[in-house]
Amino acid sequence: MNKNKNNPFKTPEGYFDSFEDKLMDKLSKPESVIPKDSAFKVPDNYFESFNDTLKGKLENEPKVIPLFPIKKIIAVAASIAAIVLIALNYNWNTPSELTFSDLANTDIEAYFENNDFELSPYEIAEVLPVTNTEYSDILNSPLESDHLLDYLNENVSDFDELNIDYNE
Amino acid sequence: MIEEEALVLDLKSKSKQAHAFEVLVNTYKERLYWQIRSIVLNHQDADDVLQNTFIKVYKNINGFKGESKLFSWMYRIATNEALNFIKKRAKLQGVSDTDYQDKLVSNLEADVYFEGDEIQLQLQKAIATLPEKQKLVFNMKYFQELKYEEISEILDTSVGGLKASYHLAVKKLEQYLKED
Repeated sequence: MNKNKNNPFKTPEGYFDSFEDKLMDKLSKPESVIPKDSAFKVPDNYFESFNDTLKGKLENEPKVIPLFPIKKIIAVAASIAAIVLIALNYNWNTPSELTFSDLANTDIEAYFENNDFELSPYEIAEVLPVTNTEYSDILNSPLESDHLLDYLNENVSDFDELNIDYNE
Repeated sequence: MIEEEALVLDLKSKSKQAHAFEVLVNTYKERLYWQIRSIVLNHQDADDVLQNTFIKVYKNINGFKGESKLFSWMYRIATNEALNFIKKRAKLQGVSDTDYQDKLVSNLEADVYFEGDEIQLQLQKAIATLPEKQKLVFNMKYFQELKYEEISEILDTSVGGLKASYHLAVKKLEQYLKED
């Protein structure tokens, strides 16, 4: 719209400021296709009796209580032994710092599996160096050269596009 | 609404803790239950997770710094507990999270605490197809009727982002239900 100084039309104050919110609210307004009741039910008196159930569970939470004094003695003896051992080893072995290679592969895999990074395949591709990755790392079955040739035959019209470096 | 700051102080005081905790449980148990139930779907699991949530709250109340509202903090604990519960169960059964959730939805047909008709069952199947964030936002907005500002604090996402997620979720669900 052109902003004509003589434009006689006016909008209510703050109309454009609140327009986006109103529009988004309208867009996100549920329509009748989706039922409003989720149909989930709870057993009778569940919420009324919940406090007692929880209280019971909290009281049964395991607490660490020393059972026998002998354990204390063992603990003290073990601590002294540990201190002596550390003191003896101190001069001979300098503690080595933990490095990335010390991590077990399974730990790394578990970490990636349990943490949601919300990375798209393109984002992952940007981080992973292609040169260090072998096809066999990704594919479960080896790539047959016949299949490869078939694929290239069907999908590549101009072989110059492949930019193959010939050694000769 | 309870006076939150006073309640937090009471929860941290040894002499008033027991009573304050009871007030806290009474105030939030139903709301947290429905949040958890929308994720784990069956009552028994929701009950387990709800109890664990309150136990965690009880044990960690001294670490609550008051940077967010108590309500959002507890909601966050409940949501994380429920999501972790699903992930652990799926791992235990050696299936993916998605397969496990599909299984949960198909179990609803025989669930005595699910009194839904065909459309409501279809809706649950449709919700199971949504990405995690959209699923959470849809359930919190549509069924629990939380405000965007509240969801924003719980999920640590901007209100604009939440509105877009919700809009996308609704569109996908409508399409799923219309096609079926």
